[in-house]
Amino acid sequence: MATSLIILLAGGWLILAPFALGYQPYGADWVSQTTNDFWVGIPVAVVALVSFMLFFVSLIASLRAAGVLLVQPRLQQQTLAPGPAMMQTPSPVVPAAYESQSDLDRTLATLAAALAADLNNRRQAQASSDQQSDQTISNRRDV
Amino acid sequence: MMYSGDAMRRLFPLGSYVLLLFFLTGIWVAISPFVMTTQPSGAHWIPSTINNVVVGAILIAVSLLGVVGYMTFALRDILREAREKQLKQELAEQQAAGLAANQ
Repeated sequence: MATSLIILLAGGWLILAPFALGYQPYGADWVSQTTNDFWVGIPVAVVALVSFMLFFVSLIASLRAAGVLLVQPRLQQQTLAPGPAMMQTPSPVVPAAYESQSDLDRTLATLAAALAADLNNRRQAQASSDQQSDQTISNRRDV
Repeated sequence: MMYSGDAMRRLFPLGSYVLLLFFLTGIWVAISPFVMTTQPSGAHWIPSTINNVVVGAILIAVSLLGVVGYMTFALRDILREAREKQLKQELAEQQAAGLAANQ
């Protein structure tokens, strides 16, 4: 990357040098040295610029892969339904980008546990009511 | 084990060829005043000649350094991988020998 940057600067200097050093007369046709330097400097600068950009992109990618740079999550655009749907109270919608598999699993596990506890409570209540009715029947028989 | 083609590809990646191109360009930039006879023979170097020789020398030196750097780092990586493989192999052999002795 440093190499490509130095070569980019050298290519830029090759393009500018005939005018900066004054060996190209002002307003006259380009001398052969100017033409040579200019047409050599342009490809050198372009190739060096391309290689610098490639190095920069690969550096960023490797930094992201190493976890040094964080990848920003892309939010999915939510399309709002026009008309009456706008008047309804919106239920809390979690963007799909934020939903990870572990969150979904956790929510489902909590829901299943709540349903199981509710079922158990109902069964216990039913069992206790059955016992009470049996006791009243036996009491009546005794009487 | 690594094939020689793979090793050569790792030692000379695409960037090395681009640097080789810059090296050849540097040679041309340095010798162009003499080839194009813009530098009078026997006279002191004119400013354009000095500029071209200096810029050409910079291009040659930087591109050579780049190629050597590529080769050095690739060679270091290859040697490190070979050492790690060798260590793993020795460890596996030791474990196999220990298991055989226990049985």
